[in-house]
Amino acid sequence: MHMPQEPQIVGMSKQRRNFFFWTLVLVFVVLLPTMIFYTTGYRLTFDDDSETTMVTTTGGMYITTANLEVDVYLDEEQIEQPRLFRNAYYIQNIKAGQHRIVVQAPEVHTWVKELPVDSYIVIEAAAFNLPTTPRLRPITQYVNSDGAAVYQSAATTSEIFGTATATEPFVFATTSSVASFTVNPEYEFVETLFGTSTATTTSVFAQFLRDMDRFRFASPEDRIATTSTSTPEVIEQNDVELLSRELELYAVWRGQENNIPFYFCVTNSNATSTKARYGQHVADAVFATSTATSSPIFMIDDQTCRSEIKLDRLRQDVYLFDFFPGTSDLVLLHLENGLYVTEIDDRAWQNTQPLYLGDDFTTIIENDIIYIEENRNFFEIIPEIES
Amino acid sequence: MSDDSHLLPYARRADFKVARANELTGKDRRFYRFLEIVPGVAAWATLIGIVWASIYASFFAAYFVIAFAIYWVLKTIFLSYHVRYNYKRLKHHMELDWGRLIERFKCEDYYHLVIFPYYQEPLEMLDDAMKGLAEAKYDPKKLIVVLAAEERAGKESVDQAYQIEQKYADQFGHFLVTVHPGDVVGEIAGKGSNVHHALHEVRSKIIDPEKIPYKNILTSIFDIDTVIYPDYFSCLMWHFMTAEQPFKSAFQPVPLFTNNLWEASAVSRVMAMSSTFWQMIMQERPDKAATFSSHSVSFQALYEIGYGQANVVSEDSRIYWNLMVANDGNFDVVSLSYPIAMDATAAPTLWGTIKNIYKQHRRWTYGVENWVYLVYHFTKNKNIPLKKRWSVALMQGEGYWSLVTNPIMLFILGWAPIFLGTREFHATVLSYELPIMVRNLLIVAMFGLVVSSIIALSLTPPRPEGYSRFRYVVMALQWIMVPITMIVFSAIPGLDAQTRLMFGRYMGFWVTPKRVQ
Repeated sequence: MHMPQEPQIVGMSKQRRNFFFWTLVLVFVVLLPTMIFYTTGYRLTFDDDSETTMVTTTGGMYITTANLEVDVYLDEEQIEQPRLFRNAYYIQNIKAGQHRIVVQAPEVHTWVKELPVDSYIVIEAAAFNLPTTPRLRPITQYVNSDGAAVYQSAATTSEIFGTATATEPFVFATTSSVASFTVNPEYEFVETLFGTSTATTTSVFAQFLRDMDRFRFASPEDRIATTSTSTPEVIEQNDVELLSRELELYAVWRGQENNIPFYFCVTNSNATSTKARYGQHVADAVFATSTATSSPIFMIDDQTCRSEIKLDRLRQDVYLFDFFPGTSDLVLLHLENGLYVTEIDDRAWQNTQPLYLGDDFTTIIENDIIYIEENRNFFEIIPEIES
Repeated sequence: MSDDSHLLPYARRADFKVARANELTGKDRRFYRFLEIVPGVAAWATLIGIVWASIYASFFAAYFVIAFAIYWVLKTIFLSYHVRYNYKRLKHHMELDWGRLIERFKCEDYYHLVIFPYYQEPLEMLDDAMKGLAEAKYDPKKLIVVLAAEERAGKESVDQAYQIEQKYADQFGHFLVTVHPGDVVGEIAGKGSNVHHALHEVRSKIIDPEKIPYKNILTSIFDIDTVIYPDYFSCLMWHFMTAEQPFKSAFQPVPLFTNNLWEASAVSRVMAMSSTFWQMIMQERPDKAATFSSHSVSFQALYEIGYGQANVVSEDSRIYWNLMVANDGNFDVVSLSYPIAMDATAAPTLWGTIKNIYKQHRRWTYGVENWVYLVYHFTKNKNIPLKKRWSVALMQGEGYWSLVTNPIMLFILGWAPIFLGTREFHATVLSYELPIMVRNLLIVAMFGLVVSSIIALSLTPPRPEGYSRFRYVVMALQWIMVPITMIVFSAIPGLDAQTRLMFGRYMGFWVTPKRVQ
C-alpha cells in the first residue's frame, strides 16, 4: 500500500475557522433579538383566513394551586402545558383582555376567576379547591387495639358521616365495657380545648351591636368611653391582619408597601377601567374610598394599591374568623350555616367554598388544626384531598 | 558580569524575566501592580455587577442573561466542532507511520533533549517515563535524557534518579542526572526553576563538550508522569522539518491524562478529559495557543532567551510568552495533534482527590500572571505588531475572565434577576420566560457534553482486568457533573488565583500528587 508523504488531515484552515466563527456570530445576531422579543411576550401568529403573518403581543397567567391533581382551563380550554413548579401553572401566549380561569377536579369545589391579562405582564392568582364531601378525622375517647376510633353508639355518628367522609377507620362498641380499649389522650386534649375556649356560636359582631345599643342611650360624655371598649378582634399572619369593623370583616395589609400581595393592587387606574377589569366593588374600594384615612391608597410602580379588602361573609352572621391554616390569603369563616373558606383576593369576585356545613357545631383552631365539636363528638377537619 | 551576547536583544532587558511587581521600580512597578489587579477586579466587578443589575436594573440583567445563554450555546457548538475535528486528526496521526514519513529528511544530525523534572514522585512513575522513552520508535542514541531532581525533595528522592540512571543510561545517547539546589535566591521552588537549572547543566556537561549545534537539538520538557507514544519523536521531527519557521516555533502535543484513568475517580476523569479537550481545541487554533504542560522547542530558541524563567508558577506557558516577546511576536505554536500520556490527578480518598484537583487548577489558572507579563511587555516592545499585541492581550484576557466568570454566571447568577428583581420585573412575561429560556438553552448546550462523552470513551485505554464493564456506563454518564466541576474546579480556583494576584498574595508552585501509592 502506498504510504502518504504527508498527513491527510491537516489542521483546520484559518479560512474555515473564520467562516464557522462568523456564521455563529450571524446566528447570535439573529437569535438575540428574536429571543428577547419572545421572552418579552411577542409572538408570531399565522392567520389562516387571511393567510397573513403578524406579530402580536401576549401576556400570561401564573396560577398556584393547593391541590396537585387538578385540571386548569383558560376560557374553556384545558391547559396542557407542563407546570412551572409542582403546584403552579404558568400559562403563556394569552392575548390581552378578560380571561376566565377555572381550576377543577373530581370531588373538589371548582375555583373560578375572571382576570384581565395585559400584554407583557403576567397576572397571578392562587386557586384553592376544598373537598365537596367534608373529610373528618374522628377523635374519640377510646381507641381499640388497632388504633381505630371507638364510638359507643352508631346513632350519634350516622348523621355526621351521612354527609362527610371519615379519613380514618372507626368502630362501634358492642358492649358498654371499655376495658379492652385504650384512652385516647388527644380526646382529653380536645375536650379541654372546647371546655375552656370562649369560641362559641356567639356572633363576632355582638360586641359591636352591644356598643351600638349603649351608644344609642348613652349621654354624650359616655360615648367616647363606650366606643373605645369595642376594640375589634385582630388576627395577624405574615403582615396581613383580619379584623371586624362595624358589621364587616376586613383583611388589612400591615407590611411594607413594596411587599403587598398582588391582589391588593390594580393596574390601569381609573374607575371605569378598574370596574371593567376587576368589578364594581374593587373600583369602589379603590376610588370611592381613596380619601379615607383608614384605608390609604398608594402607588407601586404603575399599580394602585389599597391596604384593605372586605371579606365576603355571604350576608350571614360570623361566629369565628381566622386564617385558613397554613395560609395568609385564605380565611376560615364560621357562618350561620357552616364553616367556609374564602379568599382575600376579591378581583372579579371572592371564591368562597364550604368546608363543613351545619348549624349546630363549634369550631376551634389550634396549632393549625381545625377541630369541631358536634353533638359531643370531636373531629379534625382534613381540608386536603390526598393526591 | 555574565555574558548575555547570545540573548536576543529584547531578552537582555533587566525586566525581561519579571515575575512580580515588586521586582520593578518606579512607574514600571506601579504599572505592573495595576496589571496584577486588573483580572481580579474585572472578574469580581462582573459577578457583583450581575447581582447589582439584577436588583437595580432587572430588565437589563435579564436581557444580558439571555444574550449570555445564547453565547454559551454557540460557544459550545464552536468548541465541540473543534474537538471533533481535532479528534479526527488525532486518530489519523496515531495511525500514521511517522518513521516512514521522516525518512525523506536528514534527521540523523538532530538530537532530542528530553528533560524530566520531578520532585517526590514514586520510582515507579520515573520508571514508566523512561520505559516510554526506551520503547519509542526512534534511534535512542539520538536522545539526551535529563532526569532533573530537587535537592529539597531529600536524598531518597535524589537517589531514585541515580537508580534510574543505572538502569537506563546505556540505552540512550546521553543520560544526565541534575540536582537543583534548594534555596537559590531569585527563584521560586518548582518545575520552572528545576528545568532552568537542568538546561544550564546539560549545556555545560553534554551539549558543549559534545559540540552539538544548538540548532540541532529539539528540547522536550516533560512532566515526570509523561509517557510518550512510540512515534512521538518522529512526529515531532516531521513537524519540525515542515514548520514554516522551525526555530521560532514551539511544538505542542495533546496531553491525554489516561495513565491512571481507570483507577481515578469520576470527578478526576472529567477534569482530566476536560483539560484534554481544551488542548484539542487549541490544537485547531494554534494562533491563539500557548504552550501547556509537556511540550517541545528548539534548544537554540531557549538559549536565545536564557532558558526562560525560574521565578514563576506557570512556567510551561510563560516560556512561550518569553519566546514570543523576545522574538518580537514572531513565535508560533505548532500543534502536533499527537498524544502523550499523563496521569490524571488522584489521591487515596475522594476528598483528597478533590483537594488536589482544586489546587492543581488554581495553579493552572494562576497562569493569569502571564497575561500581566505579556501586556506589560506589549507596552515595552513596540517591534511586535500593534494588531498582534491588541488581539493577543484581549484574547488572553477574555480567556482568563471567562474562565472565572462564565460558569458562575451561567449556572448561578443567571437566575439572579428572578430572585433579586424588582416587583415591576416580577410581574412581567420576561421574568417568567427567563428561567424557561435559559433552561432550554442549557439543554441544547448539553449536546456538547454528549460529544465529549463519546470522544472521551473512544480515547479511554482498554479496560484493565478487575474493572467491571459497568464502569464504561459511569464513564459515559460522568459528564453530567460538568456544570458542577466547571464551577468548583475552574471558576472558583480561578477566582481564588486572580484574587490572590489582585491582593499581591503571590502563589508558590504546588506539586500535584497524581498517582495513588
